[in-house]
Amino acid sequence: MAETVLETKELTKRYGDFLALDNLSIHVDRGQILGFIGPNGAGKTTTIKILVGLSRPTSGSASIAGVNCSENAARIKKLVGYMPDRFGSYDNMRVHEYLDFFGAIFGIRGSLRKRRIAEVMEITNTTYMQDKYVESLSHGMQQRVGIARTLLHDPEVLILDEPANGLDPKARIEMRQLLLRLAAEGKTLIVTSHILPELSRICNVVAIMTAGKLRAFGSVDEVMSKLCPQRNYEVQLASSSDLGKAESILQPMLLDTEPLTASHTECVLRFPTIRSENEMATLLRKLVAAEVPVTQYREVTSDLEDAFLSVAGSDYSSNE
Amino acid sequence: MPSFFRNMNSVNLATIFNNPILHRELTNRLRSNKTMLAIVAVALVSSLLVLMRWPSDASIDLVSQGAIQVFRPVAFAIAVAIMMLIPAFPATALVSERKRGTLTLLLNSPTSPATIYAGKLLGNVLLGIILFSVSLPAIFACYAMGGISISTHVIPLLLVFVGMAFQYSALGLWISSRSQSTDGSLRWTYGLVLVLVVLSIGPSVLVGKLSGLKSIIAQALTTLSPVPALQQITGAQGQSQSIGLATGWTEFLTMAALTTIGLAYATLKRLDPLQMDRAKPVGKVVEATKSGWLRRLAYLVDPQRRKASIPFWMNPVMVKEFRTRKFGRLHWLLRLVAVGGVVSLLLTVVAAMGTVNWGVERIAASMVLMQISFLLLLGPSLGANLIAAEVESGGWQLLRAAPISAWRILIGKLFSTLLTLLLLLCATLPGYVMMGYIQPALGGQVSNVLISLVIATGMVTIISACVSAFSKTTAVATATSYAILLILFAGTLLIWLGRGNPFGPVFVERALLLNPAATALAEMKTPGFETYRLIPNGWYVGLGICALGLIVLLIRTIRITRPD
Repeated sequence: MAETVLETKELTKRYGDFLALDNLSIHVDRGQILGFIGPNGAGKTTTIKILVGLSRPTSGSASIAGVNCSENAARIKKLVGYMPDRFGSYDNMRVHEYLDFFGAIFGIRGSLRKRRIAEVMEITNTTYMQDKYVESLSHGMQQRVGIARTLLHDPEVLILDEPANGLDPKARIEMRQLLLRLAAEGKTLIVTSHILPELSRICNVVAIMTAGKLRAFGSVDEVMSKLCPQRNYEVQLASSSDLGKAESILQPMLLDTEPLTASHTECVLRFPTIRSENEMATLLRKLVAAEVPVTQYREVTSDLEDAFLSVAGSDYSSNE
Repeated sequence: MPSFFRNMNSVNLATIFNNPILHRELTNRLRSNKTMLAIVAVALVSSLLVLMRWPSDASIDLVSQGAIQVFRPVAFAIAVAIMMLIPAFPATALVSERKRGTLTLLLNSPTSPATIYAGKLLGNVLLGIILFSVSLPAIFACYAMGGISISTHVIPLLLVFVGMAFQYSALGLWISSRSQSTDGSLRWTYGLVLVLVVLSIGPSVLVGKLSGLKSIIAQALTTLSPVPALQQITGAQGQSQSIGLATGWTEFLTMAALTTIGLAYATLKRLDPLQMDRAKPVGKVVEATKSGWLRRLAYLVDPQRRKASIPFWMNPVMVKEFRTRKFGRLHWLLRLVAVGGVVSLLLTVVAAMGTVNWGVERIAASMVLMQISFLLLLGPSLGANLIAAEVESGGWQLLRAAPISAWRILIGKLFSTLLTLLLLLCATLPGYVMMGYIQPALGGQVSNVLISLVIATGMVTIISACVSAFSKTTAVATATSYAILLILFAGTLLIWLGRGNPFGPVFVERALLLNPAATALAEMKTPGFETYRLIPNGWYVGLGICALGLIVLLIRTIRITRPD
């Protein structure tokens, strides 16, 4: 049975009248990567701050490896490696000095500190930049140094706020590989990001939040099936002149909840549906029988972006 | 023709005042509560000075000495306010725009660098004019008392203030265009203002009778300072001439105009986008084996040598503070200490040899003033950086998330500044030792002076750190620290200048208790301070301020470190 490392129970945070976090209950197992998704002001940073001991909840509880985050902040700081969205650089400080300083702050002594610095630089591929000034590094390099810093005290849980923000595609791929490697080594990761396809590639579990509320939580597949029950189908035709004929066959068979749209430039018909595979096969048979030149008949897979938009969209419209 | 002179022909008065940069600068400054506070403070102080001296009976002051005695401290008070407040804004104007990336946006717009510069310069000068305009009722109250003339007193005084505003604004902008950090820019600007105001009159005052080219150079230097001009306008030119200052307000205005034009040219050259296109220094490490003997001689502590790991018994925050400030790196400090040591020894040797007939007391006063200048120049900049810079850079969040107590952070930060400043104080120890050797009876006084200076160091450190803990940006923290400490150290000396009129001896003595430099000067029987007995009460006041500041600082640090 998987061991739960991080757990929040009905976690609530109020700032005066403003409800920043509303009854958040989630749990993450060892070695999992949790993707925290939500628009700005959704409550992600508030949750993270409570988890790393920088904020106290109004009610509810949060624990990491069985240690209560608000009651035992000193132990939590040793269990968690936190990388905020701002790097926190110092002028005139070289990468090695920077890591040495944080090693000393975390109470790592003597030869152990030297060894750990060498190890984390090796893991994050930052050894070659150890003599460079931190402020002279590019954003991607600074993000890697930031992760090296969070790994120094060998924490059980890594909490990374927007680690892929502002990275170029190559740096993003490297970051993704690094996070997967850390998870494979048994670290539990919590990652927030606005780049949702990126998260869907690395996360085992996702939590989608809007306006302080948890809208969906679970594995990527579970969240997708819950938030995007409809599948999107595309019918590709050989010529746009056949679009009208195909539309006249399909339209009577589709429901009001399955609006059909046609793209003349692409020669494609699109519609969302919850029909079974057999029902979809029947539709195809009708088209073929009517000698409509179908070149492709395919399902367009939904991704986290669709799931997020379905939640965020409904949230915005309910606010309006 | 350089790019920054393009469009210069099209500049006329209307375009100058329609300058969007000027509007933005001025409105931004005027919206600030701090600016409003400064304006109110200038109005209050100048009014209070007049009220204290306003005739309470019906007698007529036939020689009108009363008016001039009020006019003088009012004029000097406003001049000090201009010196303290005017350089702060331009000193951060360009460097902060560059750090935020907005300077690039401005330089990429159709607005020429000359227009950008004119907007920033005039915005600050207009702010200066507003600042001293609020003291006009006080100045005209002096006029109403009689003995003050509009043409020989009021107008020249206002022109000198305008000249100062232009000169210090241009200086601040020039430093700002060359600096990499806001605190460094403020430190250099205030340092150079100090040089312009005080050190420029040094050769004429200290060396005395000069002849030929040396005399011309020394007199030319005095025109950089507004002090002789203010002395002339406030009817104390006789005193000035007796100490070797022969220039007046017209010479000051001419020099202010020339320096403003020169500094404006130099700043505009720096605003050329091509000049700003430079790579960031990436850092270079010199291996120990490759260090040549010259490098080893130049750097006792080599900044390019790889640093050792922080030992477990050292406070890591303190070490970090030393390593991250350019000026705090030991190689700079050691050089400064060496210069201070050599200067103090030279002063003492000069006195011992009888080259100048100064006497040991006067030498000691010079050394005290040198140390206080060091403290006031470096202390606020170092102290104000401690917490505000950390909050600004995002490092505070990382410290909060680390298992280190607020107390340990505070101790590390305070000691990083305290040790730096104490090291600077040590620079004059050789001079004091020599002095004790020349005149053994001075031993007790020297000890008391050193205690006063240590208390001054504590006050500078704790007050700046307190300001830093309540500020969100380094620039605001540094400027506020400089203002508070200058009020404490220079403001009380201004009250001392007005001893007798308008301030009574008790009031002056109480004001001087706030200033540990005055305690040290009184202990050394410096001319003008002989009558004051400031020890031990001055120490108690200083220690009380330190203790109170430390408590406030600790509470604030705990508050900003604990969970929200």
